[in-house]
Amino acid sequence: MTTAASRLPQMPPPAHPRSTTESPFVRGLLIGVALLFLGLFLFLPLISVFVQAFAKGIGFYLRTLSDPMAWSAIKLTLIAAGISVPLNCVFGVAAAWAIAKFDFRGKNLLLTLIDLPFSISPVISGLIYVLVFGAQGWLGLYENADKPWFPWLANWLNDHDFHIIFAVPGIVLATIFVTFPFVARELIPLMQAQGRTEEEAARVLGASGWQTFWRVTLPNIKWGLLYGVILCNARAMGEFGAVSVVSGHIRGQTNTIPLHVEILYDEYNFTGAFAMASVLAFLALVTLALKLWIERKNAALHAAAE
Amino acid sequence: MAAPKNRVLPGFRLTLGYTILYLSLIVLIPLAAVFWKTCTLSWGQFYQVITSPQALAAYRLSFGAALLAAALNAVFGLIVAWVLVRYQFFGKKLVDALVDLPFALPTAVAGITLATLYAPDGWIGQCFAPLGIKISFTRLGVLVALTFIGLPFIVRTVQPILEDFDPEIEEAAASLGANRWQIFWRVILPTLSPALLTGFALAFARALGEYGSVVFISSNIPMKTQIVPLLIMTKLEQFDYAGATALAVVMLVFSFALLLAINVLQWWTNRYNHTGLS
Amino acid sequence: MSVEVKHLTKKFGRFVALDDVSLKVESGELVALLGPSGSGKTTLLRTIAGLEFPDPGNAQVLFYGQDVTMIPASQRQAGFAFQHYALFRHLTVFENIAFGLRVRPAGTRPSEAGIRQRVEKLLQLIQLEPLAGRYPAQLSGGQRQRVALARALAVEPKVLLLDEPFGALDAKVRKDLRRWLRNLHDEIHITTLFVTHDQEEALEVSDRVAILRAGKIEQIGTPEQIYDHPASPFVYDFLGNVNLFHGRVHEGSVMIGDTTFITAQSIAATESKAVAFVRPHDIRITREPAPPRTFPARVIRSNAAGPFAQLELERADGGDRFMAQLSKDEFQRLLPKNGEAVFVELMNVRVFGDDFSI
Repeated sequence: MTTAASRLPQMPPPAHPRSTTESPFVRGLLIGVALLFLGLFLFLPLISVFVQAFAKGIGFYLRTLSDPMAWSAIKLTLIAAGISVPLNCVFGVAAAWAIAKFDFRGKNLLLTLIDLPFSISPVISGLIYVLVFGAQGWLGLYENADKPWFPWLANWLNDHDFHIIFAVPGIVLATIFVTFPFVARELIPLMQAQGRTEEEAARVLGASGWQTFWRVTLPNIKWGLLYGVILCNARAMGEFGAVSVVSGHIRGQTNTIPLHVEILYDEYNFTGAFAMASVLAFLALVTLALKLWIERKNAALHAAAE
Repeated sequence: MAAPKNRVLPGFRLTLGYTILYLSLIVLIPLAAVFWKTCTLSWGQFYQVITSPQALAAYRLSFGAALLAAALNAVFGLIVAWVLVRYQFFGKKLVDALVDLPFALPTAVAGITLATLYAPDGWIGQCFAPLGIKISFTRLGVLVALTFIGLPFIVRTVQPILEDFDPEIEEAAASLGANRWQIFWRVILPTLSPALLTGFALAFARALGEYGSVVFISSNIPMKTQIVPLLIMTKLEQFDYAGATALAVVMLVFSFALLLAINVLQWWTNRYNHTGLS
Repeated sequence: MSVEVKHLTKKFGRFVALDDVSLKVESGELVALLGPSGSGKTTLLRTIAGLEFPDPGNAQVLFYGQDVTMIPASQRQAGFAFQHYALFRHLTVFENIAFGLRVRPAGTRPSEAGIRQRVEKLLQLIQLEPLAGRYPAQLSGGQRQRVALARALAVEPKVLLLDEPFGALDAKVRKDLRRWLRNLHDEIHITTLFVTHDQEEALEVSDRVAILRAGKIEQIGTPEQIYDHPASPFVYDFLGNVNLFHGRVHEGSVMIGDTTFITAQSIAATESKAVAFVRPHDIRITREPAPPRTFPARVIRSNAAGPFAQLELERADGGDRFMAQLSKDEFQRLLPKNGEAVFVELMNVRVFGDDFSI
């Protein structure tokens, strides 16, 4: 039916602000309780790290950090993170691709396995590697047995004085274990939500598998990937329990920054311990700031798309 | 004859194969080693290790402190989430971001900081010292450390539910005569309880296995302030691999049970919100 | 329990939701608040419920003469039903309806048996007894709305306020529930206000209709009154389809082209431009001219599917297009062909000056 009349321009109906809320007294009380709780458990600890670190002045702080032992700890931490993060990144992408783009039986089992390190105590995470590679473990036992498994491997290891436990490789392995879920956990829900249609379109247009991945998938997941890498890295550099078990605490050789913190603390060099700890605390703050920045970027992207 | 499975997208075998290989090397084989090692113990020995008085005391402390810490976080985490979602105050965005700190901060850093802070001469500890309450180096210290690391779990599981909460439901309850407390207790809390429970379970699981933040603040005295992960560590240092492994098996079994419970909880939550008819 | 509002004004930022609105609803009346989106009808309803508060001034909300303007919703005893039901998802149908009774302070709360009795009576009223143990997620939209109504009625409110109660439902369900609501009201005679943007619903169900536009009440009256005697072009157009014919006022009658119409309205005898409003079903089509009452037009197309036949026509002199609605009988007698020239007579013409805007 046509009519020559036009309708009123539509005014957007205003969103109704919450019309039922607590009395100002209750509100103030709840805010106070929340802030007190967070203050005791969050703010004060954070502040005290930095205060304690600089308690003996900047000179002491810098000397602690440039101490050769500290420096080797920093190097080892960087190596462990530098190896485990890229490896876990590749794993995360591969696992997310397999899970999000395909249907197969056992997906739930796979997901549960990926979540495993989150539910296992860090000490146990280190223990399992000692059990495999330690002197009394599988590899060790068979290394030292009369008829070792893989004798060529055992000989090669001995010739090159290559140890796993109580040496750098063990630390790297333990770090890989405790951090491998981070990238995967970020990417899996992200890629599941994005679906397969874009990749299928690329294939129909003739792109190869790698091209599809590089040109279509990667740009879509880049923020999630970055976020996962940041979390992975933070955990890799800060892991304590698992590394403690496999490292043997040999100064100058098998100490990471967290282990060095422990050593300084046990020697009652509190300020030194806090100085090292402040490096990690700073890293944690950078991690949080990057997380916020990525979330804001993501939200802006979504808002623009809608 | 069944049609061949033709996958449109490539890389299935490559990615799945790599994934399974990685998982096997990193996870499955080492985990198998745990159970293998346990088998070297006879049942009797196994039983003896896991029920030794030291072990039992450690279970009690680990379990009890983790439960209590998770409960504390449930109550205060709920308040924090409520305040962050519903109210405005100065510095709210900063506070919201900092809630994730226990996730991002290395456990050793948390450990030494809390130990120093709550020591009798620490900033917080000295407020309690005159009252005769010692926190660091006691079980109370263990509780503090476990509360710290579990803090974000409840807040982050409850926040999204609160943010999506339909204001009309509260208005409906108000129009029916309910006051604010009744609305919270009868309407809001039941809707939040699945998320609360999930967060509680996650915080509990994390607290059970926690090592780094606890070992500094606890005096680690066997039978008194020794948590299970530390007991395992001690046995390792004494090269009692079998004993350490036995305890690890107990913890692993419990962890898996918890993981299962959490998954069931999350499935139940989604079923609860499922609408049968549109 | 009569409801009266006086001089209500409400602004959200710069958006004026209510602009000095005054309205009185008699005890036991069923009044519809009708209007397009943004007209302020929901804001008015929520203000009466106590879910919004008017801007300070001389605004007043009176229940049976008592000033309740500043009393919050939980104490006003106004039953409110939401467009999307707002049922408590974690409670059964029974518990949803019982909610208002359970939260009463200990002194006024009925016993468990009393609650059960009251709820069961309401379940009977809404004809959903077998579903008492179900959860809202297991009900259809129409069933949920009935539960929402029962829940609001359980506390025996003095006033019942319904916010687009059938807005989220299918057309058929909406019609059935409309009738059901009217029967319910005839049974329990509770003062009811309901908000809708569906004019058919408002005209069918209510005792009186208030038409709102941009925060003001354009007209209020019985359905017949406002349909037959709309006070403004907006009301005319909002209540149904309308055709507009541009013409002139000349010596006390309306001239459209060369044709003169006499309308039932008294018009000023001045010369001015005018627009005539005619409903599609007030148009007669013949093949014989009968000047000066008829004017020539051409049939563009016709559609006889449905209870009425719709014809689209074009004025021969001006090119205005308009729609006519004929009964099936009339259409059969006429059987117009596309492109055919016919003659049109307008009945029941209503004229408004040209300085309006719809």
